[in-house]
Amino acid sequence: MCIHQRIGTTKSQPDEDRRMNAVEVHELYKEFHLRKGGLFSRRTRSVAAVNRLSFAVSEGQAVAFIGPNGAGKSTTIKMLSGIIRPSAGEARVLGMVPWKERSQLVRHIGTVFGQKSQLWLHLPPQDTFDLLAQVYELAKFDYLRQRDLLVERFGLASFMDTPVRKLSLGQRMRAEIAASLLHRPRLVFLDEPTIGLDVVARQELRDLIREWNREEGLTVFLTSHDTGDIESVAERVIVINHGRVVLDGDVAAVRQEVSDSRVVEVKFDHPFEWTDLPGVRVLSSSTYVLRLEVDRNVTGVETFIQKLLSAGSVADVSIEAPPLEEIIAHLYNKKESDPFAPTLKRR
Amino acid sequence: MKACKKFAAIAAISARSNLAYVSEALGRTLFLAVILYIFLRLWQATFAEMGATRLGGLTLAEMLWYLTITEAIMLSAPRLAQQVDEDVRTGALAVKLTRPISYPLYCLSASLGERFVRFAVNLAVGAAITTLFVGPPPSNAVSLVAFAVTLPLAFVLDATGNILIGIGAFWLEDTSGLTLIYSRLTMILGGMLIPIDLFPAWLKALVAWLPFSGIVYGPAHLFVHVESGDFVLTIVKQAAGTAVLGLVVWLVYARALDRISAHGG
Amino acid sequence: MFRKLLKYLRLARAYVSLNWRIHWQYKAAFCSQALAMALNDLAWVSFWALFFTAFPVVKGWTAKEVVTLWALAAAGFGLAHAICGNALLLPQIVTRGQIDVWMLYPRAVLPHLLLGKMSATACGDAIFGYAVYIFFVRPDAPHLLLFALLTIAIAILFVGFSVLAGSLAFYVGNSETLSEQWFFSMITFSTYPNSLFDGWIKIVLFTLIPAGFVSALPVEALRNLSLTDALLTFAGALAVLSVGSAAFYIGLSRYESGNLIEMRG
Repeated sequence: MCIHQRIGTTKSQPDEDRRMNAVEVHELYKEFHLRKGGLFSRRTRSVAAVNRLSFAVSEGQAVAFIGPNGAGKSTTIKMLSGIIRPSAGEARVLGMVPWKERSQLVRHIGTVFGQKSQLWLHLPPQDTFDLLAQVYELAKFDYLRQRDLLVERFGLASFMDTPVRKLSLGQRMRAEIAASLLHRPRLVFLDEPTIGLDVVARQELRDLIREWNREEGLTVFLTSHDTGDIESVAERVIVINHGRVVLDGDVAAVRQEVSDSRVVEVKFDHPFEWTDLPGVRVLSSSTYVLRLEVDRNVTGVETFIQKLLSAGSVADVSIEAPPLEEIIAHLYNKKESDPFAPTLKRR
Repeated sequence: MKACKKFAAIAAISARSNLAYVSEALGRTLFLAVILYIFLRLWQATFAEMGATRLGGLTLAEMLWYLTITEAIMLSAPRLAQQVDEDVRTGALAVKLTRPISYPLYCLSASLGERFVRFAVNLAVGAAITTLFVGPPPSNAVSLVAFAVTLPLAFVLDATGNILIGIGAFWLEDTSGLTLIYSRLTMILGGMLIPIDLFPAWLKALVAWLPFSGIVYGPAHLFVHVESGDFVLTIVKQAAGTAVLGLVVWLVYARALDRISAHGG
Repeated sequence: MFRKLLKYLRLARAYVSLNWRIHWQYKAAFCSQALAMALNDLAWVSFWALFFTAFPVVKGWTAKEVVTLWALAAAGFGLAHAICGNALLLPQIVTRGQIDVWMLYPRAVLPHLLLGKMSATACGDAIFGYAVYIFFVRPDAPHLLLFALLTIAIAILFVGFSVLAGSLAFYVGNSETLSEQWFFSMITFSTYPNSLFDGWIKIVLFTLIPAGFVSALPVEALRNLSLTDALLTFAGALAVLSVGSAAFYIGLSRYESGNLIEMRG
C-alpha cells in the first residue's frame, strides 16, 4: 500500500484517490470476557460488543455514528483509532490498519471527546497549540499558517490568551476542535462535541464542523445523542445497536422516521380508560398519566384527538419528537420484519 | 448518658463500615514488614556497637515492640483533618449542622470507630511480624492495662488536634501543609522512631511541654515497660492536652459557626 | 537513535516549561507544597544525622554520609518526578482508561505520558537535595559534578522503578495498593545505609527493590570519587528503566487487547 501518495490529499488529487475510502470496516468483531461474581468466581461471560460490523465511508463524507449506550460505538471507535485490537474482522482507516499502524495513522486523524479535553486547563489555548506543534513535529511555517487559519475561522482570536478554565463551554469546544485540526488531519472522530452547550454555541459549532467538512474535504465521523447535530452536520447516518449496523442511509431517511411519529404525554384529571388504536403505541401508563407514541402515517390526527378526549378528562397535553434512543430502539425492532433493511449507500 | 450512647452508636457504625479497610490494611503488611525489618537490623547494629543490653531502659526486643505499637498508632490515623477541611469547603459542614449533635463531637466519635479498627489490624499484622523477629511481647498484665487505658485517650487527643486543623479551613486557603506538619511533628516529637528517653536533653525538655508524646510515646512505652509514675504522667499529659486543644477547638468552632451564619454556609 | 533522544529531549523541554508555567500560576500552593516537602526531608535528615552521630552504627559513617545519602535520594527522586510527574500516577491512568489519549499522539506512549505532569512536592525534594548537599557537605567542583551526574542516574532509576511498579495495573486488578507498597519499600530502603543488610536481603536490594543503587553505590562513588561505582550506578539505573519500560509496553499490549475491562467490570 502506497501510503505516501495519500498524505497531503487536497482537492486537486486525481479522481482515483478521491474514490478511496477513508474508513473501511469488514466483519469487525470484538468480544469481551466479563468476569461474573466476586473475587473467587471463575465464571466468565462473553459479550460481543461489536458483532460483525461492516461499512465504508468515503473521503470527505460526514457520517453520524449513533446508537444507544452500550451499542458498541466507543468500542468501534477505539478499534478504528487503533487503541484496541478486534477479536476478528478487518478495518482500514485512510488505508492503514489502525491497530498495526497506529503511530502512523494518528498523524492523519484527529479526535475530540466531549468529556475529555486535550486543552490544558490552566493555560491559554495558545500554549496548547504550541505544544501540539511540538508533539506533531509540525514545520513552523505550516503550523503558524494553519493556526492563524483556525483562529480566524473558529473565531478564537478574542480568547487565545485566556486560560481555558475561564472560557465558556462554547469557546472551549471551538478551541478544542480547532486544536484537533492543527496537524491537518484528513479524518476526525468527534465524540459528543456539543454536549452541554447552549443552543447558540451548539449551532455555531455545527456550522464550523460542516464548513470544514464541505470546504476542506475533512471526513467527519460524529457520535452524538443530539438529533440536531446529526441533521446539521451529517449527510449519512449509521445506526448501531448490539454491535450491529441497524440502519445505514441518508440522514433524510432517519428524518422521515422522526417526522412521522410523535410522543404525546397526557395528564388526566381522573383515572382514564384507553383502548388500543392502530398506529398508536403505549409507552407508559399510570393512574393519571399516559405516554403514547403516535405514527401519523397510520392514525389521522383527528381520530387520535377524538379518541384521547373520550378516554377521560384531559388536564394537560405535551407533544414532542421521540428521543433518539426510542427511534433507534424502534428501528431495531422494525428491522426484523421490515424490508427496510440496512443498506449501504455510497455517495 | 444519652449523649454518650449516641456517640457510642456513631463510633460503632463507623467501625463496622471500616471493616472494608481490613483488606486495604492487610495490604499494609509489606510496608510494616519493611519498616520493622529495617529497624530490627538498625537496632541490632546499634546495640552491638554500643555493647549494651539496654538503651534508654529498653532491651532490643522491647525496642522493637515499642516501634510496633507506635507504627500501629501512626498508621491507624484516619484522614480526619482532611475530612473536616473538605466538609468546610464543600459546605457539607453546614448540612451536618442540622444533625442533633455538635459537629466536632460527631467527627470525634466517627473517627474513633475507624481508628480502633485500623489500629487492631495494624497491631495484628505488626505483632505477628515482630514476634517472628524477637519473640512475644514483653508486657505483663499491669502494662497491658496501662496501655489499654492510655490508648483511647491518645486517639482522642490526636483527633482533637486534627479537628482543630480541619476547622482552619474556614480561614486558610489550604490546610494540607498544616496537616503534613502536624503529622510530622507527631511522628518526630511524639517519639515514633525512637523513645523519647533517647532524645538529647534539650529536646526532651521541649517535648515535655508538647502534646505529641501523649499520642505516640505514652501508650507505646507503657506497653513494653510500665512504671506507675509514667502511667500517671501520661494520663495527665493526655488529659491536659485534650483539654487545652479541646478548648481551642470550642472557641474556634464558635467563631466558625458565626461565619457560617454570616455568610450563609 | 541519538536523533530520537534529542527529539524527546526537546519534547521534554516543552512539557517541563508548560508544567512549570502552570505551577507558577498558583505560586502559593506550589511553594507551600514544595516547601513542606523540603522541610519534611530536612526533619528526617536532621533526625538521622543526630542518630548516627549519637550511635556510630555504621563503620565510617558520619553525619556527612547520612546527609549525602539523603541528598542523593531526594534529588534523584525529585528530578525524576518533577520531569516525569505522571510516573507516580500511572496506576490511576491505566485503570481509569486515561491512557487512551496518549495513544492517539504520534509519539512513543511511555515517555510522552510520563512528561504530562510535574509534581510540586518532587520539586521540593530536588531543591532540598541539592541545597543540603551544597550547604552542609560543601563539596568541591569534582564532587559537585559527580553528585549532579549521580542524581541524574538515580532519577533514571526512579523513573524506571515508578513505571515498573505502576505497570502492575496492566496485569493485576486493584493493584494500586500493591504498587504503593512496593514503591514505599523502595523509597524507604533508599534512605538507610546499605551495610545494615546482608545475605539474601542484599540481593533483593539490587534486584526486586533496587534501593541499593541509591543507598550503596552512589555514596561510595562520592566518598572515593570512584568512577567504577558511578558507572555501576548508571548501569543499574538503565537496567531498571529497561525492565520498567518492557513491563509497560507488554502491559500496553494487553491493554490493546481490550480485556482489561474484565478487571474494571
